[in-house]
Amino acid sequence: MPPAEHVHWMFATGFLLLGLFLLAEVIAGEEVWQRRAWRPYLWPSFLFLMGVLMWPVMTFFTNSTIHMVAHGSWAQVMMFAGAAELGLVKGKLHSPLWRLATPFAFLVSGVAFLVHEQNPWLFQRSSFLHHLLGWTMVVGAVFPFARAWRPNWAVANAGIAIVFVFVSLALFSDRDLAPVFGRLSPLAGEPHR
Amino acid sequence: MRRAIALIALLVLAAPASAFAHASVRATQPSYKQRLEQAPRTAWVRFDQGVKALSNSIVVVDSDGRVVSGSTRSGADPHLMLTTLKRLPKGAYTVRWHAISSDGHVVSGVWTFGVGVAAPPPTEAYGASGPTRTEHVVRWAYFLGLMLLVGGLGFRLLIVRRPLPPRAESRFYKLTGLGVIAVLEVGILAFLLRAEDALQLPFGRLLYGDLSPIASGTRFGTAFIAMTLGFALVSALLYLAWLVEREVLLWAAFAVALVFASGLSLSGHSAADAGSSWKSELADWVHLSAACLWLGGLVQLALVVWPLAPELRREAFLRYARLAPVLIAVLVAAGLYLSVLRLPHLSDLWTESYGQVLLVKLGLVSVALAWGGMHHKIAVPLVERGHPIVGKLSRSLLGEASVGMAVLLAAAVLVDSKPPPQPVPKPTQAVTVSP
Repeated sequence: MPPAEHVHWMFATGFLLLGLFLLAEVIAGEEVWQRRAWRPYLWPSFLFLMGVLMWPVMTFFTNSTIHMVAHGSWAQVMMFAGAAELGLVKGKLHSPLWRLATPFAFLVSGVAFLVHEQNPWLFQRSSFLHHLLGWTMVVGAVFPFARAWRPNWAVANAGIAIVFVFVSLALFSDRDLAPVFGRLSPLAGEPHR
Repeated sequence: MRRAIALIALLVLAAPASAFAHASVRATQPSYKQRLEQAPRTAWVRFDQGVKALSNSIVVVDSDGRVVSGSTRSGADPHLMLTTLKRLPKGAYTVRWHAISSDGHVVSGVWTFGVGVAAPPPTEAYGASGPTRTEHVVRWAYFLGLMLLVGGLGFRLLIVRRPLPPRAESRFYKLTGLGVIAVLEVGILAFLLRAEDALQLPFGRLLYGDLSPIASGTRFGTAFIAMTLGFALVSALLYLAWLVEREVLLWAAFAVALVFASGLSLSGHSAADAGSSWKSELADWVHLSAACLWLGGLVQLALVVWPLAPELRREAFLRYARLAPVLIAVLVAAGLYLSVLRLPHLSDLWTESYGQVLLVKLGLVSVALAWGGMHHKIAVPLVERGHPIVGKLSRSLLGEASVGMAVLLAAAVLVDSKPPPQPVPKPTQAVTVSP
């Protein structure tokens, strides 16, 4: 199996692409972006795919129950949010309440990060990143929530894109056991990888 | 009040009460499920972080529960804790360990090894009590989910064979979607319950229990991994079939679901018990698949076709009536083969607890078959003639399906029960031939 941080970097690439798709839409404008019929499907289908790909992480990294449950919850909410957005784009889902699936996914993901990592912020780098990611997702849920009420509001769409890019940067910064801001708790163990 | 709750929630999230670390096992000696020809003198666990060992951090017991290990100590390397062992005779041994990370958090685990014999899986470690009533119910829920999924897909593709009216199509997807979600969620729950029993930990400590020996070292764990991945794929295919309205994706979902349902047959009695072979595994899979198609089809007839697609009632019912006897014949034949295999003596049916549960199951199957036979003899001619009473048939179909679901409950208890031991074959007499 690959080291955990390598898996984090793979998903970081996925989140970076997600963020870039959304940023491109905001910068180009909705009218230009939708000139190709496939483009509106791009980010929701990518999110759905990332949810499917999270299942192997859930099943193969079983060194603790809480890891397994956290990865399982990410797999499910990413598939759920991607599926809801795809259904809305395709016109198979009509109720605007389905737009709440994405803020729900942000909230569940954020809480899973915070519950999953219970070391304090500066214990080591991965602890810091877990807290940062958790709070980014929880606070960042305000953007998809705003988008649920005003779907074409560029600020909300840009906010979601920036959250995804930020999540990607945080995941790229992950190393298995490493100091943060030059600090590493003596309780964390020896730095490696 | 709401503000207070929000504030408390915020504080709980912002300031974890204590610092927990996830020390993970890097290596053990003996290794998981290792069969050793010579008794080891020590047992040790190496972690990825420094841990603190208590005197009872590693406890090794034999198959009678006698402690055969001394007190645990930390090695020169803080990542290591080890214990010395008494002179171990031939037999199976269970190692239970817990370690305190330097910040006070407890991580735990269990594994097994054998000296001169094969090690039992960690789910049969000393102290594990085996499946409980909760696990019976969970397994039943798993069967129900599988029935909704596999039976629903089979019905839609083999019986209806064309798109349903929109409301009926929507309900078909809701029922099969419910099935695949149930299979995934209940599968995770079943795995955690089995792990809890093997690890013998309260919930709070189970959260940081090491599941890897169970996930990678048992047939049950391997089946859990394969089936979770397989049914996650099925959920994606089912969703895409609904989204793009392509029947080929439903066929793919059906095929993958049928293939991965075999995980139960490859990890249960038919694969693990004495006398099992590829034939018993195949028979078990056929038995399960036929049951899912039979009962799932009934549910679709009663809840989808009858109320929401009346124009399809005649065609769907008559096609189902042609397929159902084939499914039941296959189901009964495979079931009889497996019963004979697991119960070598007829008297086992009433003297062994496994046999008694099987008798209950056979009784329920008889009721379901009688009900189905009544549909075949009475309802089929009425449906062919388009008799007005046919409109009320859905309740009777649901009744038959309910009895079938009770059969699945008996099957769940049966799967979790231990069949009687197989008779040991007499050793062949050596014949001495004088020159």
